[in-house]
Amino acid sequence: MTAGATPEGTTERQAPLRGSFLYGVVAVALAAGLPFLPFANDYIIAVAVRMLIFIALGQAWNIVAGIGGLLSLGHGVFLGLGCYAAGILFNEYAVPPWLGIWAGGVLSVAVALVMGAMTLRMRGVFFALATIAVSLALDQLARHYVDLTGGDNGLALRFLGNSLWFMQSRTPTPFLYAGLTFVIAYYWITQWVLRTRLGSEMKAVRDDEAAAAAAGVAVFRTKLLGLLLSAVMTSFAGTLYMQSYQAIDPETAFGLSQAIQLQLPALIGGLGTSWGPIIGGTIMILLSESTNWGSTKLGIAGVDILVYGLLLLAVVMYAPKGIMGLFDRRTRGAWRP
Amino acid sequence: MTAIALEVTHIAKQFGGLVALRDVSFRVREGEVMGLIGPNGAGKSTLFEIVSGNLTPSSGRVAFFGRDCTGDPAHLRRRAGLCRTFQKVRLFESMTVAENIAVSARQCVKPGLDWRVEVDAILRRLRLEPQADRMPAEITLADRKKVEIGRAVAGFCRVLMLDESLSGLTHEEAEEMIGEILALNHDTGITVIVVEHVLSVLAAMVKRLVVLNNATVIADGTPNEIAHDPVVIAAYLGTKASVLR
Repeated sequence: MTAGATPEGTTERQAPLRGSFLYGVVAVALAAGLPFLPFANDYIIAVAVRMLIFIALGQAWNIVAGIGGLLSLGHGVFLGLGCYAAGILFNEYAVPPWLGIWAGGVLSVAVALVMGAMTLRMRGVFFALATIAVSLALDQLARHYVDLTGGDNGLALRFLGNSLWFMQSRTPTPFLYAGLTFVIAYYWITQWVLRTRLGSEMKAVRDDEAAAAAAGVAVFRTKLLGLLLSAVMTSFAGTLYMQSYQAIDPETAFGLSQAIQLQLPALIGGLGTSWGPIIGGTIMILLSESTNWGSTKLGIAGVDILVYGLLLLAVVMYAPKGIMGLFDRRTRGAWRP
Repeated sequence: MTAIALEVTHIAKQFGGLVALRDVSFRVREGEVMGLIGPNGAGKSTLFEIVSGNLTPSSGRVAFFGRDCTGDPAHLRRRAGLCRTFQKVRLFESMTVAENIAVSARQCVKPGLDWRVEVDAILRRLRLEPQADRMPAEITLADRKKVEIGRAVAGFCRVLMLDESLSGLTHEEAEEMIGEILALNHDTGITVIVVEHVLSVLAAMVKRLVVLNNATVIADGTPNEIAHDPVVIAAYLGTKASVLR
């Protein structure tokens, strides 16, 4: 009776996945082989690292907003917690980031639990507003506790030289592989979420909360789980951000422009899809670097921000489901293979 | 003797100064097909939301197979087998027909059973197999309503509450839908509660009607009894009483 049924009901099914695997292998090979290419230098590798970090951050945001439908406008909160927790523990107590990353994760879970418990039972914009409120509060805290966080000037990591144990390197190449590991892991997590019962619940809640409850979905629990997962993922990627850039300041961690940059990969590439943030993040960073280069040549500051704005406008107007949305019909498989 | 599937006792609901329900009580026996009728504003939708767990009553009690479920949230009632559809069809628009049904099958299927088997069985029963991979926006209203019923009963269902599932359908589509609902009731023993405006349709479907008017129950009986009830005729049916006779 069901011999032919696919194992999971998701928007991304078996046949497209085979194609995805091939694209994935090519993309990973390109990224991993970058340092060995003749034209590669530290600048190009650093751009690739930035790209991978923002793809990972976009993948994390995509879990809560793309799959779960919760508009987290202040997701920099969790990026900042990941950065500051690992940075402070390292600078003050010489705790290696391998442990600091977990501290950031635990802090992020705690903050997400409080935010979620306060807002996720309500409908409407309360959650989105709460994320902005918490990011503003943490911004002020980070500026206030100067001894711990460096205040307005930010927190710079003590540099101890090349060290795997302290996740430090004079060259960006190790972070290329760390970033690639994050992106692969987060892609796998996204796929896992989309294929499991949790993903089915999150999509149902995203589409219609009352209908989801009428289908037996525990709406509050589902939203909270999505938020917690996304918060931890963002925080972990935040620690990688900290180790790669060696510094963080309140504006970079909790500012609005950073929060927007976290959202752009998924928005451009396609919300709720596993490839969306990868494609969107790649486009975003390539565009950012080109416009940076262009603005330097032209001597006009802020062109990259203008281009981001225009890009977002274009996406909203012409591809509201992102680039992956343009291929939606093709990527949708069959209930039975 | 059949069990009491659903028992609504002295339910009242107020929204500020507005009395939406006042001392509403009735029982539905297991396996019964019951109709709930009343004019607009009578309190049918409020009662529906209270029974399904989306609204908390100001006072009163809802019992499901003898167990007080007044404080249970909607998803726990659904998992216990108290299922519903919506007045305006509410499907998961980003999911295919099969995926819509799969959501509740995954939540509610009995331990040890495969939810995929359940999805296929529902698709087959409701003759939705050709539509399984289609998106809700690509199918007819009649099929959308069928998908919603399929999603409502998937996994585990003991009482199915249908909120105007026939509205907007052509006569033929309504006839087919009635056939599907009665077959569900006959084959699986699911208790059915139908909220409907189309009285002629209800007369063909149910053996018992509860009439709500002005926030309270004004009559409870067979369609023929209701059709001859002077209170109901005066308050609601008027010349429409003939369709129930």
